[in-house]
Amino acid sequence: MKIAVCIKRVPDSETRVKIAPDGKSLDEAGVKFVLNPYDEFAVEEALRRKEKAPPGAGEVAVFCLGPTAAQETIRTALAMGADRGVLLSADRIPSDPLESAKVLAAELKGSSWDLILFGRMAIDDYNTQVGTLVAELLDLPCVSAVSHLDIEGTRGIAEREIEGGIEVVDFPLPAVLTTDKGLNEPRYPALKGIMAAKKKPLDVKPVQPGTGTLEIVALMPPPERKEGKIVGEGAGAVGELVRLLREEAKVL
Amino acid sequence: MAEIVPAQYQPALPLEKLIIPDGAAGAGDRMELDVLIVGAGPAGLACAIELARLARSDATELNIGVLDKAEALGEHSLSGAVVNPRAFRELFPDLKDSDFPFRTPVSKEAVYVLTAAGKWRLPIPPSMRNHGNYIASLCEIVRWLGAKAEAVGVNVFTGFPAAQLITRESAVTGVRTAPAGLDRNRTPTAGGTPPNDLMANVTVLAEGTRGSLAQAWCQWQRVPSDNPQIFALGVKELWETKRPLDRLIHTLGWPLPRDAFGGSFVYPLESHLVALGLVVGLDYRDAGVDVHVLLQQLKRHPLLRELLAGGEMVEWGAKTIPEGGFYSLPQRRAGDGVVLLGDAAGFVDVPSLKGIHYAMDSGIFAARAIFQHLGSGSPLAEYDRLVNASYIAADLYRTRNMRLAFRDGFYLGGLQAVLMTLTGGRFPGGRYRMHKDAEVARRVSPVTPVTANGISKVDAVFKSGNATRDTIPSHLIAARDVPGDVARFYAHLCPAGVYEATENGLRINAPNCVDCKATDVLGPRWTPREGGSGPKYKRM
Amino acid sequence: MTTLAVLEQRDGALRKISFEVVTGAQRLGQPVEAVVCGTGAVQGADQVAKFGADKIVTLTNPAFARYAPEACAQALAERAKHGGYRAIVFVASATGRDLAPRVAAKLGVAVAADLTDLKADSNGLVVTRPVYAGKALLKVKVASQPAVLSLRPNVFTPVERPKAGATETVAVSVAPGRVTVREIKAAPAGTLDVAEAQVIISGGRGLKEPANFKVLEELAHAFGGRAAVGASRAVVDAGWRAHADQVGQTGKTVSPALYIAVGISGAIQHLAGMRTSKVIVAINKDKDAPIFKVADYGVVGDLFEIVPKLTEEIRKLHG
Repeated sequence: MKIAVCIKRVPDSETRVKIAPDGKSLDEAGVKFVLNPYDEFAVEEALRRKEKAPPGAGEVAVFCLGPTAAQETIRTALAMGADRGVLLSADRIPSDPLESAKVLAAELKGSSWDLILFGRMAIDDYNTQVGTLVAELLDLPCVSAVSHLDIEGTRGIAEREIEGGIEVVDFPLPAVLTTDKGLNEPRYPALKGIMAAKKKPLDVKPVQPGTGTLEIVALMPPPERKEGKIVGEGAGAVGELVRLLREEAKVL
Repeated sequence: MAEIVPAQYQPALPLEKLIIPDGAAGAGDRMELDVLIVGAGPAGLACAIELARLARSDATELNIGVLDKAEALGEHSLSGAVVNPRAFRELFPDLKDSDFPFRTPVSKEAVYVLTAAGKWRLPIPPSMRNHGNYIASLCEIVRWLGAKAEAVGVNVFTGFPAAQLITRESAVTGVRTAPAGLDRNRTPTAGGTPPNDLMANVTVLAEGTRGSLAQAWCQWQRVPSDNPQIFALGVKELWETKRPLDRLIHTLGWPLPRDAFGGSFVYPLESHLVALGLVVGLDYRDAGVDVHVLLQQLKRHPLLRELLAGGEMVEWGAKTIPEGGFYSLPQRRAGDGVVLLGDAAGFVDVPSLKGIHYAMDSGIFAARAIFQHLGSGSPLAEYDRLVNASYIAADLYRTRNMRLAFRDGFYLGGLQAVLMTLTGGRFPGGRYRMHKDAEVARRVSPVTPVTANGISKVDAVFKSGNATRDTIPSHLIAARDVPGDVARFYAHLCPAGVYEATENGLRINAPNCVDCKATDVLGPRWTPREGGSGPKYKRM
Repeated sequence: MTTLAVLEQRDGALRKISFEVVTGAQRLGQPVEAVVCGTGAVQGADQVAKFGADKIVTLTNPAFARYAPEACAQALAERAKHGGYRAIVFVASATGRDLAPRVAAKLGVAVAADLTDLKADSNGLVVTRPVYAGKALLKVKVASQPAVLSLRPNVFTPVERPKAGATETVAVSVAPGRVTVREIKAAPAGTLDVAEAQVIISGGRGLKEPANFKVLEELAHAFGGRAAVGASRAVVDAGWRAHADQVGQTGKTVSPALYIAVGISGAIQHLAGMRTSKVIVAINKDKDAPIFKVADYGVVGDLFEIVPKLTEEIRKLHG
């Protein structure tokens, strides 16, 4: 089973967001970067599928578009058990996800993969589309937000959460899947894995992503939290509460 | 009860949990290294870097591993800090001060004695003068040192706490790491990891303050010290301020009770990024002393209120500091297969509030002794010889009684300290005897309500970055029946709100723990737990 | 130039979320053509005229009985290519998040996804989207031709602005595609993780006993699958609720759109974890409870009277 996993280096979910002087990006001073949590499900799934294949017949390769520091992110995946990694190195991740997809697709095109896995979204930009875009560029079947997966030979059945239910989806291999929470419990890298990762192949290939058609104008702090108010007393206040939640807070 | 003696309710150090024989069942992987360093703090990393350098210049290959219980480098590191750069210069002779991970050189300084509403400026005690030193964040120092270590081939394993010493006869042969993924009843779960055994010719214990393995080794090998080690608890906050601060500030007096030793520090890492904290000796006499609450009071003093107005507290943390000085050092810090570095050994000078450069230099000396030992079999005791002949021992000896004098109270202690300063430590001389902190009796006063000022302990724990999973088994060992007064004492003691006195007895919120170790000094014993638990300091 | 608004149907009936798409599409100031894929007439599709659809087109094909990712994407892309639309608007529902990028890629562009605001003027199309878990907002200029947008659910509250809504049905010929939805099965009970829920209703000691959590469960139910019932540490430790429901003891951040704290004083152990919720509502009989300092809206009084009334109102809304 040849599986490619595309991963991203993202700021830790607990990062306190500070805006850089250019007004368009995150101030990275002191920010802790991690492997995108949704990508961990993808790496873990790839490792499990490889472990199910006969020995020697499985390979898990990870691909990452990112700056030089993203080598550390690839090493995390290698420490979990991936066999090799490729860093598509670019100083800046394009603001247009299609441009990221084009770079990844160009790299993946060279080999024939049984599965290409992505996390369903990155916790920094929330674009939630690069995997699907890559599938389209490679003209491969795609199922997104997979929270359960069964594979028999060259056919797969995936489950994905939709509002009020679970969609059960049939698809043929080779395919692109994007992974969601609940698919598996990613393993902690073992000490031996961390040591072994240092010796696994990690190729660095410089790339030049295009600028695309989505341009960042500004990165802004969210609106200030207004002071709260007591709406009223007793059940009689409920009507007003609901009105405020609908019209003012817009959460209903 | 009128009085509490914490030692009466404190379980003994669980030696049987901390020391296991080589070959004991239970480990997953087993790894062999040449040198294993427990703790990626300044001491451990300096040791690793110096060892790697020695190996490289000798064209030998050394397999050096550094373990740290934090998920990432620096996340459990906390200090003021004002750093004496000499150890950096020694470790990196080719670099300039401007290359080091410091923030600002110290320029202006002030020392005040505070009263509830005012302040008196004191001349700066000679021991506290910081000209030539730098204000820094220990987290940033550790991350910088870690990168240097990895660049020279050191293996740094974060997220792997050393939980037990592995021994063969009287030698230490390695450590066993803590398992991960146990549920509340300590049953392993599917996604968890078993313990790993890391075996090494030399195990370096650089665990920091109140290190469990260092304590265990000293007790097991019956290594004496003239005085027991004593501790202070520091609670620290990092603020982004609207007003600038251009000077280092230290304060004494209010809000500390007269019979407690300690003071506060206010350090500008940048003009608008201020580290401030309150440090209180754990031999305080009033069972209701709550360092976190005192810090919240301190922030409302006119000296600080203006500075902090409109600002934002971005981080909070806590850690103990070994304060016993010279007489509390274990008489030897090297043994069969093991050495002790830094705070774990007690290399901290209280009057100057310094420990980082001692930690690093102890690491450097240890590296040299270890390298010789690995090459020629010379005894590790060479490390003791190097430290004893160095400025580390000389500095600690000079101030050996200054902190201890304060066991006699603020004024008498202060007077004695001044005399010691003027006489270079010769008068008053002798050795001040100290009790273990836990043996000091505490007055129980009527229950005082906790005022809702400043930040609550729970919110503070949130700001420490602590996201320990709630289902983690408790790592704290408490006595079986803890009376209400003692439970209340614990609740005040712990800055992180781990302990609560409820009508059903002592409640332990173990996931709140930020590993400051105050509990291990005066209350329930602290034991290592799953890697990545605890705080995630960024710039503390 | 027209804006194409993509509606959603399930089992032949229009999903209410479709009204949000049309409302959002209006913001571009162009005529709005609503489109939906179905096997025949989609029940309720004509309703979108009320919300501003000038035209309502049903694309039919047997494959559209269920969501057919490839067939639907193909059909929409074809229509988009020939229709000269300024923009194609989806809602970022589970289906929308899957469908929009497929269509976008076929049109050679990316999706400006999960938008909370959009504005079109002489300077072009500028959109706003939350990033970093809502800790910041990104403003993006969309130069794509056509622009493909997906709207964050529950933001573009449907506004009635009736238009002609002329209906049209077009049979389309597309391959059924390689990816097939076999069935939709019910979600197993209790899988909505407190950490993932859009709406969290948390109960504290004020509930007085475990059985009373039923009133919170009923409220959660009224939100139709988006809500989870959480619990303060006090009630979890007392054994009233499962540990998995616990919110905010040691700094676990839950960030739902709506957090309703019922019978929770907010004094300790709870506030830290839920502070970053978008909107916080507190219901407590003690008007001095610390939770009211943190809440955006508070109601003081007996929760056993207030919560059932709230449940009734929510049911009416979502009915």
